Amino acid sequence: MSRFSRREFLMTAAGAALASRFVGSAAAATGPKPGGTLTATWGGFEPQALFVPGGGGSSPYFTSTKVHERLLRLTVGLKFEPVLALDIKPAEDFRSYTIKLRDKVTWHDGKPFTADDVVFCAMDYWKPISAGVSLSALESAEAVDPLTVVLKFKAPVPEFFLKSVLAGKSGLVIPKHIYAGSNIITNPINNTPVGTGPFKVKEWVRGSHVEYLRNDSYWNPGLPYLDRLVIRWWRDPASRSAAFEAGQLDIGTFNPIPIPDIARLTKAGKIVAETKGYSNSAWVATVEFNQRREIFKKREVRQALMHAIDRQFISDTIFFGSARPSTGAVHSSNSIFFTKEVQDYPFDVKKAAALLDAAGYPVKGGSRFKLSLVSAGWFEENVKMGQYVKQAFEDLDITVDLSVPDRATSLKRIYTDYDYDVAISNNSGSIELIPSTTQYYTTDGIVKGAAFRNATGYSNPKLDEIVAKMTVETEEPKRIALAKDFDRLASIEAPILPMVDLEPVTIARTDVRNHSTTADFMGESWAEIWLDR
Amino acid sequence: MRRIVVRRLAQIIPLIFAVIVLNFVLIHLAPGSLFDVMTSEQQVTDPAMLDQLRHTYGVDQPTWLQLAKYIWAVMRLDLGFSYRQNAPVLHVIMEQLPATAILMLAATTIALLVGITAGVLASVKVNTIWDNLISFGAVFFFAAPSFWLGIMMTVLFAVKLGWFPVGGMRTIGADHGAFADALDVMNHLVLPATALGLFYAATYARVMRASMLEVFRLDFVRTARAKGLSSSRVILAHVMRNALLPIVTLLGLQLGTMLGGSVVIEAVFSWPGIGSLLFDSVMSRNFPMVLGVLVLGSLLVAVCNATVDLLYMRLDPRIRVR
Repeated sequence: MSRFSRREFLMTAAGAALASRFVGSAAAATGPKPGGTLTATWGGFEPQALFVPGGGGSSPYFTSTKVHERLLRLTVGLKFEPVLALDIKPAEDFRSYTIKLRDKVTWHDGKPFTADDVVFCAMDYWKPISAGVSLSALESAEAVDPLTVVLKFKAPVPEFFLKSVLAGKSGLVIPKHIYAGSNIITNPINNTPVGTGPFKVKEWVRGSHVEYLRNDSYWNPGLPYLDRLVIRWWRDPASRSAAFEAGQLDIGTFNPIPIPDIARLTKAGKIVAETKGYSNSAWVATVEFNQRREIFKKREVRQALMHAIDRQFISDTIFFGSARPSTGAVHSSNSIFFTKEVQDYPFDVKKAAALLDAAGYPVKGGSRFKLSLVSAGWFEENVKMGQYVKQAFEDLDITVDLSVPDRATSLKRIYTDYDYDVAISNNSGSIELIPSTTQYYTTDGIVKGAAFRNATGYSNPKLDEIVAKMTVETEEPKRIALAKDFDRLASIEAPILPMVDLEPVTIARTDVRNHSTTADFMGESWAEIWLDR
Repeated sequence: MRRIVVRRLAQIIPLIFAVIVLNFVLIHLAPGSLFDVMTSEQQVTDPAMLDQLRHTYGVDQPTWLQLAKYIWAVMRLDLGFSYRQNAPVLHVIMEQLPATAILMLAATTIALLVGITAGVLASVKVNTIWDNLISFGAVFFFAAPSFWLGIMMTVLFAVKLGWFPVGGMRTIGADHGAFADALDVMNHLVLPATALGLFYAATYARVMRASMLEVFRLDFVRTARAKGLSSSRVILAHVMRNALLPIVTLLGLQLGTMLGGSVVIEAVFSWPGIGSLLFDSVMSRNFPMVLGVLVLGSLLVAVCNATVDLLYMRLDPRIRVR
C-alpha cells in the first residue's frame, strides 16, 4: 500500500466500490488490493501487430487498448465517462465541439500529452484511417490552447454519435511526436505501441504472449492496481479450458472456452461466467439475400425464407442457449435504440411455402429453385448454421448448394465477388447505429471489396433518407424515433435476416475483481481490475 | 565425403526454387487474397484508400511480376516484408523458428530413444508379453491423433497432477539466469515434445523390431554368437547397428512431416513456434510469410536429410563406395 497516499486510496476505493456494483460480488466490502499479475486471454488468435491503426479486428484491439486510451469511455449503464477528455461540449448549432483535455498526462516516453496530439489524431489518423465513414463531416481540428481542442464539422453532428466515435474502436489516441511524418499503418512502433495508458509494453513474444508492466507515472495516481498484465494466446479452446482449470489463466474475454465447458468450470465456484461488457460490440449472426439475383428482388421470397428458419432452435441447439433470437436489425442489448415494434417472422414452414407459391415459385419436379448458400467459415457455429439453414430450406423443396469456405475465401465470395445467393455471416455493431449497423442496409454501404458492409446490394431511397436524417438529427428523442423507423422498415423489407443475437461470455476466476464494468470491456484499459489474493 | 556434401548443397538450390514456384502458384490459386483479409480486418471502405493499399501491398501488379520480384529478392537473401505482421518476414520467422527447432529436436530425441529401445526390447523378447505390450502401445500411439494425445496429457499431467505447465515455453516474467531458464524451457517442453514424439516413436518401434528380427537370422550373427560373444554385445554391436539403417531412412523422411505435426502440437500447447505462424499466414493468404516459412523449412529439411546421408555412411561403410 506504500504506493498510495491515504487520500488517493480512499478516492480510488470509492470509485472501485461504485464500479463493483456492476460485478455484484462481495468486492464492495473490501477495498481494492494493489499488486499482482493478471494472466488474460481471449477467444481468438494472436494479433498480427499489437496495434493495427486501421482497426485489425478484436485481437489487436484487445492488446492496443491497454496502452492507447481514448477521450471517453462508455459504462455498462451506457453513460460516457471522461478518460483523456474531461469535457466535450457541442456548440449551439452542433457544428463544432470543444474538447477540454485532462492535465498532466504524459506518454510512456515521458513527453507530455497535449491538444496537438488530439488534433493530429483527428486529422491524420481518425478521419483518413480509422473512422473515415463516421467522421466524413469533420472539417478541421484546432488547438485553442494546450488543453483545448475545437472540432469543426460541415453539418450538425449529434452529441451521442460523436461521443460514440470518440469512445469507440476507432478513437484511440496516438502520439503525434512518434507518428507525425511517417506512414501510420506501417510504422514499426505499432509492434511496441507507446500510449498514455496504465500499462507499458514490456515484451511481445510472438506466438506466445505479450507482457505489460504497470505505468508508474499514470495520470490517475494509484491506478492501475495490477503490477503486471500478461495476455496469452492459445489456438485451441480446449487448452484454454485446461489452463483455467490448472489455475494458469485468470480471465478470458469473448468466449475463451467451448460453451459446454462453462457449466463444468463454474460448478466449483472458483470461476464465474459473465455476459456483461459486450453491448458496445454486439455480435449477431445474419442471413443475407443477394438482391442481384432476380429471385430475391421479390420481397415475398425473402420474407418466405425468413419464416423458414427456426431461430429459437439455432439459439438452443447450435449456441447452447448463449444466443437469443434476434428482433430486428438492432441487437437486443442496445438499450437506447432497441425496439420490439418490428415485423416478426415466426417459424412457420406452411406459411413460407404458401408465400413462395404465391410469389410464383411452386414446386416443379421436386424443387422450387436452386440456391447457393455460403456460410462464412470464421466461427465454428457458422458451419452448423449453414447445415441447419440448408436443411430448413430443403424442407421447403428448395435445392441448396452449401459451401463453408475459409475466412479469406468467404470474404472474397461475399463482399468482393458477390458470388452467393444466400450468405450466412456475422457482424458486430456498436450502440450507435451509424454506420456500423445502418451500412448493411443503406445504398452508400455498397462498396465492392469492402467487407462487413451492404453486400446484398439492397437499395431503398426511403431507408437512405431515414438514415440521412438520423446522421444530422441532434435531438436525442427524435433520433431514437428515427432509429425505430429504420429498424421497422428494414424488418419489413427484409434484405437481411438477423438470426440470433450472440451473447459473448467472459470467464474469470472469482478473485479477479472489478471486471466487465464498461460497454466494451475487452477494449478498455483494465486499470481498475484488481486481484483479491 | 566432401563431394557428397557439395553435391547435396547444390541440390538444395533447385529444390528451393521449386518450393517457391510451386507454393506461389498454389497460394495464388486459392480464392481470396491478403488484400481481402487485410482490408476486412482494417474495415477500410474508402475506395481511394483501397487503391492506395492495393499499391502498398503490391497486389496491383501482375502475378508473374510478383513471382519474379520474389525470386530475385530471395536470391539476395531477402524474404520480403509482411504487411500483416508489419515487420520483415525474416525477422518474424527468426523470432519463432528456434522454438520449433527445439520442439522438433526434443521430439525426435524422444522418438528415437523410446522407439529404438521399445523395438529392441520387443525383438529380443519376441512373442512374449513384453512384445505384445510394446506392439499394443505402438499401435495406440500411432493411431491416436496428436492433438487428442496432447489434450489428454494436459488434463492428466498439468490439470490433475499439476506437474507441468499447461502451455507456453517459459514462465512469463521469470528472470533467473541462463541455467534456470534452460531448466524452465525443458519443463515446458516435456509435454509437447512427448505428445509429438510418441507418434514417431510408435513407427520406429515397429520398424526397429522387424528389422532386428531380420538381422537376427543372418549368418554373421550366428558367427558372432559362435565365437562366444556375450548376447548383449551381439545385440548392441552387431544386430542393432545393422538394424538401424531403416530407422535412419525413416528419420530423414519424417523430419518434414514433423514440421507439419508441430503445427497441431503448437496450437494445443501454445508453443511459440512457426507452426501457428504458418497456419495463420495460409489462412490470411499472406504469401510472403508462407513462402518465407516454407523456404526456410525446406532448407532445414534439406540440411537434415544431408546429415542423415552422412549418418548412413557412418553406419554402413559400404555406402561410401557407391
